Amino acid sequence: MSGSTVRVGRYELMVDRLYDPEHHLWVLPVSDTRVRVGFDPLGVEVNGTLAQLVLAPLGTVVRRGEAFGSLEAAKFVGPLVAPVSGRVVAQNPVALSNPARIEQDPYGEGWLVELETTELPAERAYLLEGAERIALWFRERVEAYRREGVLAE
Amino acid sequence: MLPARMEQAGGILRVIDFGEASPLRSQTLWHAVAYGVSRGAPATLSFVRPAAPYVSIGRTRSPWEVDLAYCGRAGLPVYRRMVGGGPVYLDPRQLFFQITVPARWAPPARQQALRALLSPAVRAFQAVGVPAALDSYGEVVVDDRKISGHAGGQVEEAVVVVGNLIEEFCPERAARILNLPHPRVREEVERRIRRYVLATPANPEGFKAALTRSYADALGLPPQAGELSAFERATVGELDRLFGSRRWLWEVDGSPKGTWYVKVRAGVWVCAVQVGRGLVVASGAAGRVVDVAPVGGIAPRARDGLAGLVAGVKGAGIEEAVRRLQAWGEDGSRLAGAWSRAAALAV
Repeated sequence: MSGSTVRVGRYELMVDRLYDPEHHLWVLPVSDTRVRVGFDPLGVEVNGTLAQLVLAPLGTVVRRGEAFGSLEAAKFVGPLVAPVSGRVVAQNPVALSNPARIEQDPYGEGWLVELETTELPAERAYLLEGAERIALWFRERVEAYRREGVLAE
Repeated sequence: MLPARMEQAGGILRVIDFGEASPLRSQTLWHAVAYGVSRGAPATLSFVRPAAPYVSIGRTRSPWEVDLAYCGRAGLPVYRRMVGGGPVYLDPRQLFFQITVPARWAPPARQQALRALLSPAVRAFQAVGVPAALDSYGEVVVDDRKISGHAGGQVEEAVVVVGNLIEEFCPERAARILNLPHPRVREEVERRIRRYVLATPANPEGFKAALTRSYADALGLPPQAGELSAFERATVGELDRLFGSRRWLWEVDGSPKGTWYVKVRAGVWVCAVQVGRGLVVASGAAGRVVDVAPVGGIAPRARDGLAGLVAGVKGAGIEEAVRRLQAWGEDGSRLAGAWSRAAALAV
């Protein structure tokens, strides 16, 4: 473990943020009322080569668990599910114009949206934080995906 | 095979044959099934044949990819579907099937989910005498030619994968409905469609029976003829209104901005990039640039460079072609970016 990252196998995870364990998204508070959202490395790998990204228009209000966009990979379209409730206040133009950046730099240039939210204190319980918890969860997911054949050995 | 963790919700594979339906209903019927399965209806295999030709675009794509003026003149309605893929031409000589299961049954990796849900269809093609295979891209093929147009998606808590039996295919129409910047680009697209798409006119009733057996075996569920629930019937009405609205069609906007991409089948693409007052039209297949040609009024300086480029990159691997293009100034960098994107979009 070093600084604000933790290594799990071949994955390096940022631990300065929270994680939605169900949808493999990270949530980074960037101010008291604003969070940035992106995919974690396992989410990127499981999605496969990303072809198209659609994000909800600015101003859209989403509840936790509702879609804030769609992602297409290999002709399969799936929803992007909001890890916290909020209003979409920024879309990442880099990811929209070139979804490959999400795969190449999921913690940096490949972020998805920013949400204005006052719900984070209430919804924090649904998210994981802290290096040990994050590493434990991630390790379990990697092992489960390997058992299920989702990831190569 | 589908994962063993799949529990047997509903206990049956519901089979619904919608027969022939209007273009709009040939979309909304099976979308309503997806909403039904999301809320607890049994896993469902459905069939539908459009009663008239029309055009459909994928969930994440823009109507700008379709030649809307032509479609208007030809009387072809355009509907946005909730699954993936680009603009496609559908007509009564295509029998469509949809397999819809609870999302928790499908592998979380999208490509695996598609393979799992398409493999039974491949066995059904084989059962009716078509030597089909699922290639490394996840395309249903005979040799290297696509024989079934497929797409998938998650609708609420259901996963649906759509495919078709192409009894007869019109490459000219398939290319004509696309919004392309020049007749030469359309010719190239049509040429690649002729090369890489194949109709397999199997007996449709036999194919339906084979698909039913194959999906029932794969899911471990007995097939049972069924019909829409009251909830699903009401949902069809709601979806008719949604799919017929301009708001839904134009939900994803975005014009080409000097670059046009066409995916012919997985791994095969055509890309046109505006250079000066002309275009550079390139085709790729299996990781290589198979053709590249200038079209129209490219400025003389650019054309001089282009002549060498055309000679140099035809037949090259895409990465090598991109590397060489990047040394060809600003236009070369634009071409490199577009070809990289075309190859990525075609996966």
